[in-house]
Amino acid sequence: MSDLEARITAWLAHRIPGASGIVVDGLARIYGGSSQETYRLRGCWSERGEAVEKRLILRRDAPAGLVLAERDLEYNVYRALAGQGIPAPEAHFLELDPAWLGRPFFIMDLMPGKPGNPFGADPYEGHDESVARQFWAVLGRLAALDHRKLGLTSLRGGEAGSGFWRLELDRWEGIIDAGEAVIEPIVRGAIRWLRRNPPAEPAKPAIVHGDYRSGNFLFTADGRISAILDWEMCHIGDPLEDAAWGIDPFWPITRHLPLEAGLAEWQAASGIQADRRSLDWWRLFSAVKACAIWTTAEAALASGESHEMVVALSGIRAGHFHRKTILALLREFGEMA
Amino acid sequence: MRLTVEAALRRIGDLLRDDVAPDLQTPFLGQSVRMAGSVLTICANWVDDAAAIRVEENAKLRSILGLPAASDPGLRISQLDGENHRLRLLLIDAHAAAEAAEDAPRNAAIWALLEEIELARAQRE
Repeated sequence: MSDLEARITAWLAHRIPGASGIVVDGLARIYGGSSQETYRLRGCWSERGEAVEKRLILRRDAPAGLVLAERDLEYNVYRALAGQGIPAPEAHFLELDPAWLGRPFFIMDLMPGKPGNPFGADPYEGHDESVARQFWAVLGRLAALDHRKLGLTSLRGGEAGSGFWRLELDRWEGIIDAGEAVIEPIVRGAIRWLRRNPPAEPAKPAIVHGDYRSGNFLFTADGRISAILDWEMCHIGDPLEDAAWGIDPFWPITRHLPLEAGLAEWQAASGIQADRRSLDWWRLFSAVKACAIWTTAEAALASGESHEMVVALSGIRAGHFHRKTILALLREFGEMA
Repeated sequence: MRLTVEAALRRIGDLLRDDVAPDLQTPFLGQSVRMAGSVLTICANWVDDAAAIRVEENAKLRSILGLPAASDPGLRISQLDGENHRLRLLLIDAHAAAEAAEDAPRNAAIWALLEEIELARAQRE
């Protein structure tokens, strides 16, 4: 038994006082999850005379990562979304005391399926169109939910009725300010454009996943989306924010289904008409937000807070991609010749 | 010494990616080491002309800002980056002023320079 398995076993004994014969095995770190460390494990125990065997995922705060994860946010979102028609794992336990595993963590079900590699040639193994249609339909269903009824008003933007674009832009500009070593005038020019050309207010405030894209959901061998993952940037805002993030050219779901067909799925599921000018605004915002994330990655690597190679590669390579994306969008919008 | 930093980084990157990663016992470590190899390859491609790119960029920034041609404070990357950051801040102010004045030719010239700078700095993989 590894040291970490032993510590998880001790924690389970503390957390489930009625459990006996607790065994934790098969612990393996899963690649990805660059804002939190992700482990697969099996837990077996007896409880009230019944044998329990669970295949689980443990998500532990990373020392530093690509995004600034709030400790209990993702756990609370998983709990709130249970039974709401959004494929997501059931979250079982949250532990904020770092005494047990060094940092806060939570435990949820291991879901069937696997993530598609957005950079691979055939990420969804022949189910591209079906997966992409589900991608948009799930996002539409998410937009249709009432975050107040689900108890998610404590999320960022949860009490705001309007001005979501400014809330998000201010937040990500602040993150860029904090992390940038050499300032990027292209990004700053994009931020000024975004402030001069604000989007329309959304039809309704929506639960925004915050990182809704290829690579952050699981699909099964028969082409079914089995789980939407990585909710650590979830907040309340304009539902078009997620739509724009999903079509960002770094991981575009439009590789698998044209935008018009995807938006039709989204509109049918959400009951909201997509405002195309606002979607354009969120496309440019997405590129700025991505630059902020890569800036954070570079800063974490430079300071030694992070040793993750995915953080290193993202920080080095992806910033350039998204600054070029900004230039392409500003040209499309007529700001550049 | 014939072994340049560039060549050393490239060889270490190749070693990690092609020889070490396949023999590691866990997928997580294997993937991490493969990525470390890629990071070193990018660094290798970056190191040789890093100073030249910055010197050229700083000269272009001074020119568009109307500043007198001047030498950089030193040729260390940290010194060149420090000067680059200072000049970029001035350019951002100039760009915002051009937008406020609706000076389309100036705005276009600044965007064109920014695009040129970005392409010159692109990673070579």
